[in-house]
Amino acid sequence: MATFEVAGLRHTYGGRAVLELDALTIETGARLALVGPNGAGKSTLLRLLAFLEPPSAGTIALEGRPVATHGARRAARRRVTLVEQRPYLFRGTVADNVAFGLRAAGVAGSAVDQRVRAALERLQLHALASRDARQLSEGEIQRVAVARALAVEPVALLLDEPASSADRAAQQAMFAALAEEQARRPLTVVFASHLLEDAYRWAGGLLALHQGRLSPVTPENLFRVDLPGGAGMQRVAVGPLLIDVVSGRAGPATLAIAPDEILLSAAPLQSSARNVFRGRIVRLAEHGAEIRVTVDAGIELVARITRRSFEEMGLAVGGEVYASFKSVAVRVF
Amino acid sequence: MLLLLNTALAFPTVVIGLCIYLLLMRRGPLGGLGLLFSWQAIVVAEVILALPIAVALSAAAVQAVDPRVRRTALTLGAGTLRTAWAVAREARFTLAAAVVVAFGRVLSEVGAALIVGGNIRYETRTLTTAITLATSQGNFNLAIALGLVLLALALTVNVLIQLLQGRGDV
Repeated sequence: MATFEVAGLRHTYGGRAVLELDALTIETGARLALVGPNGAGKSTLLRLLAFLEPPSAGTIALEGRPVATHGARRAARRRVTLVEQRPYLFRGTVADNVAFGLRAAGVAGSAVDQRVRAALERLQLHALASRDARQLSEGEIQRVAVARALAVEPVALLLDEPASSADRAAQQAMFAALAEEQARRPLTVVFASHLLEDAYRWAGGLLALHQGRLSPVTPENLFRVDLPGGAGMQRVAVGPLLIDVVSGRAGPATLAIAPDEILLSAAPLQSSARNVFRGRIVRLAEHGAEIRVTVDAGIELVARITRRSFEEMGLAVGGEVYASFKSVAVRVF
Repeated sequence: MLLLLNTALAFPTVVIGLCIYLLLMRRGPLGGLGLLFSWQAIVVAEVILALPIAVALSAAAVQAVDPRVRRTALTLGAGTLRTAWAVAREARFTLAAAVVVAFGRVLSEVGAALIVGGNIRYETRTLTTAITLATSQGNFNLAIALGLVLLALALTVNVLIQLLQGRGDV
């Protein structure tokens, strides 16, 4: 079942359209990254999905039920929680903060303590329980806010730029806790980031926004893999292909190949590129002077080439082509 | 609304006293209540005097609260009342200041209390009206003593409010 179904969504601020989404479905259990530059509409979309404000037009359904009235939004807010880019912690202790949502939900006193402790432990914050919330570092504030949000056991957790805090270790702990929570129960996680790297690292899916619209230029060539491990060069199975990558890591990872790192040629290239695959062109997308060519080589690879090269090579859908890229062009996250 | 409130802030207390006097006088619209020259009349007058200050300063205090407080409370599932409480909690220092200022206005007020209370001994004589009377009679010792009592009262209330604030700020 889908957690969110968005249809005909329009949102304006002061008469200016900031968000226009015709349709969007976010499946339960997804770990979706909203990527795009600042001002692309990511935060607006998150606030609408958190039901903190009604959209100017269109509908958002939560778990199949449209949320349109004030009362429905209020009920929906008990099931969806947003962690803002700079989370606000109320006056009081860390534990007071984590207890806030539980008290609002009418959880009994003794159960509150227990759930606060569990939420803090998940984020490795138990040592901070009685600390004054105003005396925490940025990274700690972020984690307390996530613990506070998870304590109410929402069906969806929305995070606005969770990686913007300076503390890298805190981010690791936070995303690890989210992954653990998702393994424990169905939880939909949507986070906004202007850093593609974070999206690659943490997300299962990507959604690119540009000027308030879904961007067709989604980050392509992302592959979830299991790295066999080894020093330096590794050969990794991606679908039926074996791709050479340079990484010393082992275990689950995401491979990213930038579309402009992939060379297309009519015949196999004699070059230093270690990865050469034969495939068939299945799609062409024009973006001004450049063309994105999708090649099915067992997996779909997207290459970005100039219109001029495209015309000179005489490429067309259905045509056979070789896609080549260097092993160092494969980024491992 | 705020403009009205702000005008009310600057309203001379004797004018308010006069208006209430006219309302409560025997031939006035509320004369039937028989409240003129009673302590209840003074209470009504002081509430009317203090309310605009309390409301205007509280509104300013709440407006100055970080907008994230409201959003955070809402997204954690709080209803309207709990959200309002969360906002008030974050604004409690400025809200307490509003109480102190409103209290100060009531404590130091003499004009309205004199007009609607009538300064009747054992009935409607307040500290301020007693000081006014003692001074006009040349009884400066009593006036100064009452003045000190008034100051002590003001100090005590302020200290209490500060203590309450401190206790809440764990």
